Amino acid sequence: MSKFLGICFSFLPLLILGQGNKLIPINLSFFNEATAIPFTQAFSTPIHPGLQIGTEFNLKSKPTARLFQTANLSYFYHHRLNHGISVFSELGYEQRLKSGPAFSALFGLGYLHTFATAEEFSFQDGQYLNKNDRGNARLLASLAFDVGFYLKKDQPNSPKIFLRYQSWLEYPYSPGFIPLMTHTNLHVGTQFFLTKKNLQQ
Amino acid sequence: MKTLPILGLLILTLFSCQKGEVISPNNYTCNFNFEDSSQTHPRRSKYQAQIDNMTQKGGVVGVSMSVQDQDGLWLGSSGKADLYNNIDLMPCHITRVGSTVKMYTATLILKLQEEGKLNLDQKIAEHLSGDVIKRIKNAEKATIRQLLQHSSGIYNYIQSAQFQTASINNLIKEWHAEDLLQYAYDKPAYFEPEVDIRYSNTNYILLGLLIEKIEGKALYQVFEEKIFQPLNLKYTSFAGKNPVPSNIIRGYIDLYSNLQVIESTYYSGWDYYTADGGLISNPYDMTVFFKALMAGKIIKTASLQAMLSWRVPKEQDPEFYPIQYGLGIFRMETPRGLAYFHSGDAIGYYANMLYFPEDGTTVVYAVNSNYGKIDHAVSTKNAMEKIILVTKK
Repeated sequence: MSKFLGICFSFLPLLILGQGNKLIPINLSFFNEATAIPFTQAFSTPIHPGLQIGTEFNLKSKPTARLFQTANLSYFYHHRLNHGISVFSELGYEQRLKSGPAFSALFGLGYLHTFATAEEFSFQDGQYLNKNDRGNARLLASLAFDVGFYLKKDQPNSPKIFLRYQSWLEYPYSPGFIPLMTHTNLHVGTQFFLTKKNLQQ
Repeated sequence: MKTLPILGLLILTLFSCQKGEVISPNNYTCNFNFEDSSQTHPRRSKYQAQIDNMTQKGGVVGVSMSVQDQDGLWLGSSGKADLYNNIDLMPCHITRVGSTVKMYTATLILKLQEEGKLNLDQKIAEHLSGDVIKRIKNAEKATIRQLLQHSSGIYNYIQSAQFQTASINNLIKEWHAEDLLQYAYDKPAYFEPEVDIRYSNTNYILLGLLIEKIEGKALYQVFEEKIFQPLNLKYTSFAGKNPVPSNIIRGYIDLYSNLQVIESTYYSGWDYYTADGGLISNPYDMTVFFKALMAGKIIKTASLQAMLSWRVPKEQDPEFYPIQYGLGIFRMETPRGLAYFHSGDAIGYYANMLYFPEDGTTVVYAVNSNYGKIDHAVSTKNAMEKIILVTKK
């Protein structure tokens, strides 16, 4: 499993460096994951922590609105059930007000690999043996809405802080029992800009 | 940028895989203090082969079974009680037997009627009040008998997707009646009371509240005083007293249907305090109870007749035998003959108790694993048929 995560974490710098000498937006957020029906509750306990890092580039841009694409790497740990790492991309639309606030909607698709948090026993030759968990492959689809605030409202590359409500589907989940699982992530995050020079230091 | 790999390592360090709980084998020590006929029973090899097949081919972690027939009592087990500590399952081990408790709950209600404390045809609202009556559709109109027979039309809280996701979100939460009933609040009823039959756990939560209200005691105390102690059921308890006894066998789930199981011993918190689940027992004690019930030794003949008055739901599960509903008990025609039964699930546990009135045989089996591919060896029509046919002479 460590190898798998290592590969995933090494993927992101390559993606970011691939963008040349431009200012590179970095989105970093911490989130609370929950298995929940989307839009029924904003926050839930216990906290299942997660971390997401990614970048984005504009497809169309105006001073007050933009259409953009993201590339993200995300990790969550759901106590006593599973933990998962995902690579996914979102198509987003942002409306920005001159006074600093901004509102976004993002639709994403990606790949998720989950691992049991408890020891797993595999059935082989008529008995259960303790075996390394190779995890489970999943598809994920997400829909997120966020409220952000640009700290330097006059600058196009202003740092931003945001609160994001992300609902997502995990498929397949438990074949024959629960075909798909719905999750929600409540993110608190920031967007900041790096140059290639910063990244190589 | 060097911080990213460090961040990754930090995550891995913080959230590495949780190891199993070390439990001493002595913790699981148990024995029966009676002579059974397991070693001399004429069909002992067939019975043992059947449960060995379930564990060695079907992926069931452990199964214990009891067959009480005209040739005596056979008790057997196969597989493991605890995979991490490599403990073999024994017939005396205690396990979680889920909804089979509904038969005990119905028996208790019938006993309370015999004691003159209630009448089956009274409305539940004559005893209970507040949100559990006002906010659950049909609760104001339904009678005690309709709750027992699942003809109240009341919504089954377990069907709520919000409940299902919430219970997975907090796998070790201990849910009380009021927490669970909230998922039935303001939900449309399936039908008007008496119009049809549809299984609903909510019915039995309300019956549990009724028992506590009438007796003025916790449910587990009433079960102990009126059923467990009189029948000398030493290995039976209601989870409300001690939700996860230290000697309970470990439960396992095949969540992803690939016969790769994880432990789920602490994941049945919605099943501890309410009368729709929460029974802890073993196949021997369950056999004693079922035999005594059918012999009229717990409730009077008239009460037993009421319990065994059948109704047929308009819709049947096409993948199972057509079943009829009594009060806390089902009836079905099987290739082995007529059977009365109730099965029960918890997270990582399943049990089934069957009585064949034509030859007076009682068959009880309990397993400590479920979901996914394991269910095909345990709870499907095909699985059940294999088990019950093996008990035919």
